[in-house]
Amino acid sequence: MRKDEIRPALLMILPACLFIGVVAIFPILNAFRISLDRRMPVFGISYFVGLDNYRFLLQDPRFWQSFLNTAYFSLLSVSLELALGLLLAILLHGSFRGRGLFRAVVLIPWAIPTVVSARMWEWILNPDFGLLNYLLQQIGLLSSPLNWLGDRVLAMHALIMADVWKTSPFVALILLAGLQMIPEELYEAARVDGAGGWQIFRRITFPLLLPFILIAFLFRTLDAFRIFDLVYVLTGGGPANTTETLSLYAYKLLFQTLQFGYGSAVAVATFLTVLLISTVCILLVKRQHHG
Amino acid sequence: MRSRISRLGFGAFFIIVLSILTGCTRDEGIKDIEGGARIVFAHFKVPSPETLSGLIEAFERQNPGVKVIEEILPTSTDQQHQFYVTALEGRSAAFDVFALDVIWIQEFARAGWLLDLTPRLGADRLAGFLPGPVEAATYKDRIYAVPWFANAGILYFRKDLLWKYGFAPPRTFTELSHQARVILEGERDSNLKGFVWQGKQYEGLICVALEFIHGNGGAVLDGRQSALRDKQAVEALQLMHDLIAVDKISPHLVTSADEEATRHLFGAGRAIFMRNWPYALALYEQEDSKVRGRVDIAPLPSFEGYQSAPTLGGWLLGVNRFSTRSDLARKLVEFLTSQSVQKVLAIKLGFPPARHALYHDAELKMANPFIPPLYEAMRRARPRPVTPFYLMISQLLQPELSAAIMGVKPPERALEDASRLIEHILKLERE
Repeated sequence: MRKDEIRPALLMILPACLFIGVVAIFPILNAFRISLDRRMPVFGISYFVGLDNYRFLLQDPRFWQSFLNTAYFSLLSVSLELALGLLLAILLHGSFRGRGLFRAVVLIPWAIPTVVSARMWEWILNPDFGLLNYLLQQIGLLSSPLNWLGDRVLAMHALIMADVWKTSPFVALILLAGLQMIPEELYEAARVDGAGGWQIFRRITFPLLLPFILIAFLFRTLDAFRIFDLVYVLTGGGPANTTETLSLYAYKLLFQTLQFGYGSAVAVATFLTVLLISTVCILLVKRQHHG
Repeated sequence: MRSRISRLGFGAFFIIVLSILTGCTRDEGIKDIEGGARIVFAHFKVPSPETLSGLIEAFERQNPGVKVIEEILPTSTDQQHQFYVTALEGRSAAFDVFALDVIWIQEFARAGWLLDLTPRLGADRLAGFLPGPVEAATYKDRIYAVPWFANAGILYFRKDLLWKYGFAPPRTFTELSHQARVILEGERDSNLKGFVWQGKQYEGLICVALEFIHGNGGAVLDGRQSALRDKQAVEALQLMHDLIAVDKISPHLVTSADEEATRHLFGAGRAIFMRNWPYALALYEQEDSKVRGRVDIAPLPSFEGYQSAPTLGGWLLGVNRFSTRSDLARKLVEFLTSQSVQKVLAIKLGFPPARHALYHDAELKMANPFIPPLYEAMRRARPRPVTPFYLMISQLLQPELSAAIMGVKPPERALEDASRLIEHILKLERE
C-alpha cells in the first residue's frame, strides 16, 4: 500500500469500526460494567459490588444446573445434527429425479420460525393428543403414551429432538456446498484406481469436507449454546429446572425479576463460554486450512 | 472526489450514531386540545374492544372536552410488565391510567410509580369490593389501585358422572380422591382421568400450589420469614405429589400441563375434575362442545377442617405517578371501576366483577348466567404473597414446586431450599 493511501483507507473502514463498536462492543462492555453492580431499579437499589455477583454465581446451583443443561443440549444436538446433516447432504448431492423439489422440501423446517415450530412440537409431543405417542403406539413401540415434556429425563431429549429436526437441514446446506466444491475428477481418478465407496468417502470426501464440517460445527454450537426460544415455549425450563438453559435463566433474571446486576453476570458468563468455544473452533478451522 | 464521498458518508453515519446515542427525544407529554385535555389509558387487548371503547365514549360525554386515548399493549403479561417498568423507570408520562395485574401492585407502589389513591377512595369507598383485590391493592395501609375485575381458581366437574354415582361436589381433597377413584373404577374407561390441574413449571403452578397450601391453613410468608417449612405447606405439596404418583388420580401429564392443555383434555370429556380459571365455562357451553350441559362448577376443595382458598387473579386500574393529568385520570379510574361499568364488562366481556353486589344482580344473571355462580370463589379468593418481591419469589419457587410434585426432591427439602432463597430475597428490604 502506498503511503498516501493509508489515511483514506483508514477513513473508509472507520464507519464499519464505529458501527461494530456501537452495536457490539459497547453493549458487551456495558453488560460487563453492570455485572459489577447490585442493580434492581424497581427496588431503588443500585450500587457497585465489584466481583460479588460472580462470587455468588460460582456457588449458585441454579447457574450450574443451567450450565450443564446447556452443555448437554449443545453436545448431543450438535452431534446428531452433524451426523444427520452429513447424511442428508450426501443424499441431496446425488443425482435423481425431482432433486430440486427434494432440496427445497428439506429446507422447510429451517425456514419455519422457531417459536412457530415450537408450538407445533408442543402439540406433537402432547401426552394425550400428540401425534408422536399415537404413531409410536400404532407401530407397537409404546404400550402407553409418554409424557414427553413433563418427565425429567424425556423433556431434555424431546427438546433435542425438536432442535435436530429444525437445524439438520441447515447443516446439510453447508455440507452440500462443500460437497459441490470437490472436483469430480478426484472421484473419477479414485474409481479408475479401483477404490470402493467407503474408501472414497474416507480418503476424499471426508478430508475435503472437514473445513465445512468444522464451520457447521462452529455455527451450530454457538447457536445451541444460546438456545432460548424453543425451551421458553416448550417447557419454560421445567420440569424441576431440568431443561433450563443459560439464556433462559438470564432472561428470567433480567426481564422477569429485573435483577440487572446478577442477570448481567450470568449473561457475561454465557458470553465468555461462547467466546471460548468459538476461539477453539476457529483455531481448529485455521489449522485445518494451513496444516 | 473519492475523499469527498467518504467524508459525506462519514458525516451521515456520524449523525445516525449520534441520534442512537442520545436516544429519541422525550415524549412531549400531554398536550392540551381545545378547551380540554387528553389522557391516555394503557391496557391489554380485551376480547371485544368496541364495548370498552363505547364505555370510554360515555366517559367523554360526561366530561366535555376530555379525550381518552387507548394504548393497547401486547397480550403477554410478561411483556406488559416489561413495558411499564421500562417506561416508569424513565418517569414517562406517556400514559395516565393503566391496567395492573394483581401481582404487580406492591412492586410498583414500593417503587413510587403509582399515585396514592387513598385520599379519594378511603376504606369505606372500597367496602363494596371483594376483599382479595383490595388486599392486593393495599401497600403499607395505603391504596394504590382500584379493582377492575376479579378472577379465581374454580373446580370444574362432570355433573353427569357425579350424579350417576350419587355424589355431591367434593368439599375436601379426600372426598375428591374418593369420588374420582369410585368413578374411574366404575367407568372402566382407560381414557378417563381423575383430576387435572396445571403442573408445568410456570406461574400457573404457583397458583395451584397456593390453593393446596392455603387450603390447608398454610402460607408462603410469615412477615419476614418463610412459612413454607410449616407442616401445612409440606402436607399440601405431599398431596400434590401423591395425587400423581401414589393415588394416580391425576395423570402424569399434569406435570407439563398449562391452562389450555387441561381445558382441552376436560373439554374432550376425558377428565372428571379440573382446576382452572372461569374462562373455560362459557367455552364448554358452546354448541360444538363435547361436554355441553355436562359440566358444573364448585369452589375448590380444601383439606379437612379448612376452607376453600382459590388463588386470586384479575386486574386493577392505577394512576401513573408521573401523570400531569392525575385528577382526570383518577376520575377515569373511578368511572371504569364503577358498578355500572363493571356490570357491562361482565355481561359483554365475561369479566367477573370485583364488586360484591353484582353477583346478586338479576339483570346480570339473565344476561350472563355463568357469572353469579362464581361468587363463592371470588369472595374467598386469596392473593398470592402480597409483597413487592413477589415476582422474584415466584421465580425461585417454580422449580422447587416442580421438583416436589415430580418427586425429584421430597417436599420438605424443596420447601426448605425455597425458604432459604426467599429469606435471602427478603433481606433486600433491609439494605
